[in-house]
Amino acid sequence: MDDILAVENLSLSFGGLQALDGVSFSAPRGLVTAIIGPNGAGKTSAINCMSGVYRPQGGRVMLDGRQASGAPQHVLARRGLTRTFQNLQVFANLSVLENVMVGLHAVTKSGFLGAMFRLPGHRAEERAIRERALEMLDFIGLAELSGQPAGQLSYGDRKRVELARALVGRPKLVLLDEPVAGLNPAETEEMGSILLKVRGTGVSLLLVEHDMALVMRVSDKVVVLHFGRKIAEGTPHEIQNHPEVIATYLGGREEPINGVAEAAHA
Amino acid sequence: MTGGEQLAQYLMSGLTTGSIYALVALGFCLIHKATHIVNFAQGDFLSLGGLMMYSLLHWAGLPAPLAFVLAVAAVALVGAALERLAIRPAKSRDAMVLIFITVAASMFMRGIFKEVWGKQALAMPPLSPDVALKFLGATFTPQNLWVLGITLAAIALLSFFFRATLTGKAMRAVAANPRAAALMGIDTDRMVLYSFALAGALGGLAGVIITPITTLNYQVGVMMGLKGFASAVLGGYGSFTGAIAGGLALGLLESLATGVVSSAYKDLIAFVILLAVLFVRPGGLLGRAQQVRV
Amino acid sequence: MSRGQVFYLQMGCLGLAVLLAPLFMSNPYYLNVLNVVALNVIAVTGLNLLIGFAGAVSLGHAAFIGLGAYLSGMLSSIWGWPPLAAALAAAVLAALVALVIGLPTLRLEGNYLVMATLGFNLIVGIIMLQADQYTGGPSGLSGIEPVRLLGMTFSDDQSFYWLAWAVALLGLALARNLAASRVGRGLRALHDSPLAAAAVGVPTANYKVRVFVLSAVYASISGSLYAHYFGIITPRTFDIFRSVELVTMCLVGGMGSLWGGFIGAAFLTPLPQALHVFDQYKDVFYGGLLMVLLIREPEGLVGAWRRLRPRFGPKATGRPA
Ligand SMILES: Nc1ncnc2c1ncn2[C@@H]1O[C@H](COP(=O)(O)OP(=O)(O)OP(=O)(O)O)[C@@H](O)[C@H]1O
Ligand SMILES: [Mg+2]
Repeated sequence: MDDILAVENLSLSFGGLQALDGVSFSAPRGLVTAIIGPNGAGKTSAINCMSGVYRPQGGRVMLDGRQASGAPQHVLARRGLTRTFQNLQVFANLSVLENVMVGLHAVTKSGFLGAMFRLPGHRAEERAIRERALEMLDFIGLAELSGQPAGQLSYGDRKRVELARALVGRPKLVLLDEPVAGLNPAETEEMGSILLKVRGTGVSLLLVEHDMALVMRVSDKVVVLHFGRKIAEGTPHEIQNHPEVIATYLGGREEPINGVAEAAHA
Repeated sequence: MTGGEQLAQYLMSGLTTGSIYALVALGFCLIHKATHIVNFAQGDFLSLGGLMMYSLLHWAGLPAPLAFVLAVAAVALVGAALERLAIRPAKSRDAMVLIFITVAASMFMRGIFKEVWGKQALAMPPLSPDVALKFLGATFTPQNLWVLGITLAAIALLSFFFRATLTGKAMRAVAANPRAAALMGIDTDRMVLYSFALAGALGGLAGVIITPITTLNYQVGVMMGLKGFASAVLGGYGSFTGAIAGGLALGLLESLATGVVSSAYKDLIAFVILLAVLFVRPGGLLGRAQQVRV
Repeated sequence: MSRGQVFYLQMGCLGLAVLLAPLFMSNPYYLNVLNVVALNVIAVTGLNLLIGFAGAVSLGHAAFIGLGAYLSGMLSSIWGWPPLAAALAAAVLAALVALVIGLPTLRLEGNYLVMATLGFNLIVGIIMLQADQYTGGPSGLSGIEPVRLLGMTFSDDQSFYWLAWAVALLGLALARNLAASRVGRGLRALHDSPLAAAAVGVPTANYKVRVFVLSAVYASISGSLYAHYFGIITPRTFDIFRSVELVTMCLVGGMGSLWGGFIGAAFLTPLPQALHVFDQYKDVFYGGLLMVLLIREPEGLVGAWRRLRPRFGPKATGRPA
């Protein structure tokens, strides 16, 4: 099978805490892969390793057949990998349009001198950047808000700005860390439709999500993490009926899984 | 002088200035732990310690031990005032703004010192009369011993304070996690205030004991403050042990290097070392690189 | 009107004011003050790029000004270089020095740059004083040639006025072009969230270093012009006090706002001339002003104006004017 991303034996620890413990899985090209698991399972840590925020202590990440772990974030962005953040990271002082324009940074070129002296190549590129960003705002439904400072938007709109910023450069793979957390049912519904629309354009998605209805609706493949280990992998249907997953999720209510995660977060 | 005697001499003077750098570095460290800002007025605390001691001895005619205690206490008070009057009321919590408030405070204080004590160098008497002592071929004065002894005592006291007293433990808790500390009922604002006062006391102490050896004027602390900062960085900014180790290391390196470089350029050494260390080990000699959390 | 158009309109007004100002200057001394304002505007504009974009502050910009002044002065008066070539060489060297300081410090969290630049300023001061066979020591370097260009000599107040303001306006326009570009957006983005900026491909550490280098070049050019204008330079002009003064100008006007920097320079440069007793108390004055301002009005004059403007708008009611 053709994989856009392959994670091999990934390990990461913080002091004594083993956040990832020999995790391997892959994300097929052009499809939607979901990572699920209880709080503190290591999902965000996995995304951070894949996107170059953390350098894993063991194992490696392959992006489109080439090693990605160890490369800095901005280099991975140029290789077609972008992401969103669980704790929103919009550029608060930039307008919505500018936020999305920054999303094109990895796929554009002009430098300091070109910009200062407004050389012809630079001006043409600026026009192209603006047009592409406006197109993206239309796609994501934020066109009316383009002039607003992103810091003043509602939570749901900020999440959309982040998604637009990640998508605008036509990346190969987008990592989404909890795209619908904190959204109301209507916004969640809409986000699900957007994700399916994006999937239709051929972009591969890898998302981390707690909202099982959304996961079942949009994903082609599901990976389950628990305490830093992979406990299951398969189609959404297989995962729904997987005994260990059921045990984790049903048993998780009584067992101190959540408690442990919260204590570690404090 | 033989090579060995020369070396002993360098070691002695290196340890003396190194102790001072360590005290200043500890002051940086304290305020960093409490507020995550760099306090640029730390060097001026040192100047003020010396200047206060001078005035209490010469203008007020107090006996040395009393003047010593009062001078250190006065600088501690100024440290607390800096926090209360300039840092706490600031509208912005942006670290850059707060740091520049300390830059401004430093300049302001220096301007006042210049008005009160003038620009000229002042003669600060040593804690006990100067006689030439000899040990392993190194010549030194009792003041060198005072510096080493008082620094050791201060470090021991500080360590006792943080390990054994309730306030010390509360300050450590605030440094480790202000939110959790506040939830536990610790008055975090008060602990920040104490950190500034303690940083003031350490700076003042350094000033009182070193100015009889160096010289005393309204801006003697500027260079010392910078080198104390360099020491803190060398030790991995924010670690107490690192601050002490960094101070001693810098003092010794500087002293040994003056054997090689002309003394006119002695002050360059600290910064060359600082930049070199930042190049190869950004976390400092003892520090570990920090990791962001997202 | 787009923001770009607003800026160029403002630039046009400023340009006009610059053209007309000499007509109202009866006393050549005022022209001299305006020339120093222009030189400060150049340096402050560069510094403002650093503060507003990289979110870092340099306390050593006076040293870069000094580097520009001394190198340009030495190259032209000792080795006979033409002033413009000397200024160019000085700018290149200032850029290299900034690179060496910026590379290790700017990739770190926190404010290592502040201390490194402060230390750098002290070092440069020591060298200026000690290397007296080249720098003239405490009494400084004198007899520096004025700038000559296209058969004109920019030596007196009036002719230098045109040169200094032309460079200052150009510096502002270039800085503003940068701010409105792909690179400028990337820089402003990294100020808001370094993590997210890196995630969309902004090489954050690299950009910060470049902005720092650029700001050092602005400072160096300002210094070179200064040297060739006054003909004599002394180490005191480039001490740490001057660095703090430049930062104060940025902050008084408004951190990271290009017009703020301009306003800060225009407002604070003539002040010492206006206040006679000022020289003796300048530490207390600058320190106190900066402290009060940062505590009460961290956004500077531009920020205060933005906050207050609605009250002066047409909808404002209440007390009669
Ligand atoms: N920078 C860090 N330093 C120390 N521990 C960390 C850090 N980042 C994460 N951890 C710990 O690693 C474990 C995995 O965290 P991670 O954020 O990957 O979980 P997650 O699956 O994303 O959880 P959630 O669903 O709550 O977002 C947790 O126990 C967490 O506390
Ligand atoms: Mg997470």
